Amino acid sequence: MAIGVKVMKRPGTKVSYVRATLQGMALTLQHLFRPKVTMQYPEEKSSQDWTLSPRWRGTHRMLTDEQGRAKCVACGLCPQICPANCIKLVPGEDEAGNRYPLIYEIDEFRCVFCGYCQEVCPEEAIHVGVHYENSEFSRDRFVYDLERLCAQTHPVSTLWDPSDPKGE
Amino acid sequence: MPEELVNLTIDGVPVSVSKGMLVIEAAKQAGVLVPHYCYHPGLPVAGVCRMCLVEIEKQPKLAISCATQVAEGMVVKTQSAAAKSARTGVLEFLLINHPLDCPICDQAGECELQDFTFQEGRAGTRYSPDYPKRFNPVEDFGPDVLYVPNRCILCTRCVRFMEDVAREPVLNVSERGDRAYIGVHPETRLDHPWAGNVVDLCPVGSLLSKDFLHKARAWELDKTASLCTGCSQGCNVTLDTRENVVVRVRPRPNLEVNRYFICDHGRMNYRWMNRGDRIEAPLVKRGGELHATDWQDALERVTTTLRGAGPRVVSLVSPRASTEALFFARELFRGLDWTGAFQVVMGEEAPLAGVPDLALRAERAPNGRGAELLGYGREYAAALAAAQSAAVVLVLDEPDIPVRAGTLIYVGTVLPERARDAEVVLPIANVAEEDGSFVNRDGRVQRYAQAKPAPGMARPAWWVFSELGAALGHGEPVGSAAEAFERVAQAIDALRGLSYEQLGFVGKPAAVPVAV
Repeated sequence: MAIGVKVMKRPGTKVSYVRATLQGMALTLQHLFRPKVTMQYPEEKSSQDWTLSPRWRGTHRMLTDEQGRAKCVACGLCPQICPANCIKLVPGEDEAGNRYPLIYEIDEFRCVFCGYCQEVCPEEAIHVGVHYENSEFSRDRFVYDLERLCAQTHPVSTLWDPSDPKGE
Repeated sequence: MPEELVNLTIDGVPVSVSKGMLVIEAAKQAGVLVPHYCYHPGLPVAGVCRMCLVEIEKQPKLAISCATQVAEGMVVKTQSAAAKSARTGVLEFLLINHPLDCPICDQAGECELQDFTFQEGRAGTRYSPDYPKRFNPVEDFGPDVLYVPNRCILCTRCVRFMEDVAREPVLNVSERGDRAYIGVHPETRLDHPWAGNVVDLCPVGSLLSKDFLHKARAWELDKTASLCTGCSQGCNVTLDTRENVVVRVRPRPNLEVNRYFICDHGRMNYRWMNRGDRIEAPLVKRGGELHATDWQDALERVTTTLRGAGPRVVSLVSPRASTEALFFARELFRGLDWTGAFQVVMGEEAPLAGVPDLALRAERAPNGRGAELLGYGREYAAALAAAQSAAVVLVLDEPDIPVRAGTLIYVGTVLPERARDAEVVLPIANVAEEDGSFVNRDGRVQRYAQAKPAPGMARPAWWVFSELGAALGHGEPVGSAAEAFERVAQAIDALRGLSYEQLGFVGKPAAVPVAV
């Protein structure tokens, strides 16, 4: 069967676009009086209708105990589970003889922000953060060491809760 | 005499086992591992943990399978509701005071309490969260052993090992009831030369090795069947490697040699396997200096040297070299006026009293017997003297470089200062980096496997010597250790008929018994 083609009938002469132009300008003008949806980003980071989700998975944060020491006990589960292999951990002992990470580094460039490290951590030490502003002037600054992870102050992710799948 | 067999049924699987066997061992033959803590095949039965309870038909109560002998027609149910709930109850009691500090415990991942709780323990505790668990500080037991009393489940394996196997009863169960802990004699330390075995025997992380403390997690380790190079006993060991670094040596059960144990000397004798100062490329002398080159060039240099040299040749070899390497090194000089010798480092002998014929031997030479079988002598001093006038001196991984007039060919893992005037230096793999075999002092031929890659261009010594032999016209080169061993077995009467396949990983006695 042949394909049927609909041929539009076009005006042959004397076509004016003034009407269409005015219609377009009227629509633009209408928008000036509608409520604004654009957020003024660097000055304004959240609004009443929009905030970052509490389940957001951003750059990491290491929580600390009352003495300000990292809660990490160097159990080795996060480097094991990490699918991007971005966590470097060398276990050792602190002054009191407790197991403690001698080196704990996360390469945030390599990280895929899956949040498995937070999920697997038995001490609730490492967390992914509700945070997205990470610019630096050099690449090597993206390897966060233990001190820097502990110094982060942004809120931490709640991750997805299977008993509350819709976050209600 | 035919062995008397007993027929019984375990979890519906009929098995025939020898008379007098324990139900727990018979269950292993039926493919069932009954959870247990105090039972260990290398120790006397104690029956204290009550973990291995099973139901036996026509018996009024549950029985502990580690202390019940098999009987004709017995029907054992390890998974019946009664047995399972009894074991779950035992686990619940054990966990009342167990600290659940698995994240910081070195045993996590190879912990029997962890495994069996996961398998059949309760999902949660019935104690309130603020119940104060028993707490005792960590104790220093001996040179390599730490005791963490909180994690202890009082299975008494360590106590029985020291009492019945080491025959040095320095451990006991002190106090009673829920205050009980493992005590060490106040005037002694746990410094028996075989004391390190209590760390392996401990089913939980209560007895820890200071050497391994915090070094690696169990799930990061790769395990390779190997042999201890500490002495001529030839204990079977497992090399635990993490990212190609040997981090731990553990005993590998072999009832004919070391049963379930190794001595502390062998346990600590692994650091040299990770040495960083290895020779990584073949070196040849050009203009008075050693220069790195490729294998082809280096091997050609050796063959021209050997072809042009006089007939007097001396080989000084290490008794840590594999049988295959020693054989091909010997074959190189077939038909020449050859002297071969190895040096044996002597140390103190340390027997394990409870196991006959098991000791840390004075001769620290894992393959001394193999070298002797292949025609190498023990007259090292005489060989050193003979080397002075020899045309070619071949040194295989031995730091003692003789004074000599002839050409030196040095084949080794590291380069000693005095080997720097060698004509050719060939890099070889060490025991953790190659497949090979040793012959122990009782003439038992045993295999070891490669645990990590060799550094740089280093190759197994048997490969190096078989390539050299092929270049000199002594047959084809070999491509694997198994093939190399086949050649040895063809040529050496004592090993005739043996092959890697037959040896397996527990070894076989040499066909012709060697006089000790």
